Amino acid sequence: MTIDATMVGRSYAAAESYQVGREKIREFADAIGDRNPAYRGDDAIAPPTFAFMVGSRALEELLNDEELGLRLDRIVHGAQKFNYTRPIKAGDNIAATATITTVRKAGPVEVIMYETTLTTVDGEPIATATSTLSHNRADA
Amino acid sequence: MIEVGTELPALTVTLRREDLVRYAGASGDFNPIHWNDRMAAALGLPGVIAHGMLTMASAVRVVTDWIDDPADLVEYGVRFTKPVVVPDDDKGAGVTFSARVDKVADGLAEIDITAVAGEEKVLGRARAVVRVR
Repeated sequence: MTIDATMVGRSYAAAESYQVGREKIREFADAIGDRNPAYRGDDAIAPPTFAFMVGSRALEELLNDEELGLRLDRIVHGAQKFNYTRPIKAGDNIAATATITTVRKAGPVEVIMYETTLTTVDGEPIATATSTLSHNRADA
Repeated sequence: MIEVGTELPALTVTLRREDLVRYAGASGDFNPIHWNDRMAAALGLPGVIAHGMLTMASAVRVVTDWIDDPADLVEYGVRFTKPVVVPDDDKGAGVTFSARVDKVADGLAEIDITAVAGEEKVLGRARAVVRVR
């Protein structure tokens, strides 16, 4: 099977919620070389792009949908956007759901947009991530 | 007072292979194009490239270093237009980020970010929106 526009609207929830810990926030901030004190300590918030990592648990489920026929090693990340209701913070327990919003085809290349909503497991909105991927079915 | 035309302090980040490996570990993105020359070449890339999300994370520091509280960021988006090639040496790749306030309205400031590696812009339409007080 291959992805097509009829698959717009399919939704994929991360298998498990993501429990945000302050040491993971610190590790992530260190890895991006960001020493901002807001990302350290008991009241740490997460750097803005931490949201992508949390959302990637839902992306994994999308990629596992065999009907889409997507392969990770054929995907290029084209664009990324975040809208924040509030920052992610240490102690959050986050549910992520990715929904396919657009599928466009140009020859062997499929441009796929999906939107990932991040909420607490109690339903409080945190952020929405909009991602654009190019998937190339042509053999190199 | 934040005004249209305000230039934010620029930031230059050096990305070395070690930084890509550390980001792979912290983010869970172990795609080999970010650490393995053989795999990068097999996919037709000019070399090992930085994670787009690492470049995106670095770029927004120009904004979050400038505002008092990073929690005031309400929107942030980029297009990944060119890969940042990270050589296997001690020098790594330098990426310079600059930013300018493009619009101020309704308690929000829109900031355009430019990211340059070598001579090339590596991000397109990089834009952050922050609450202003």
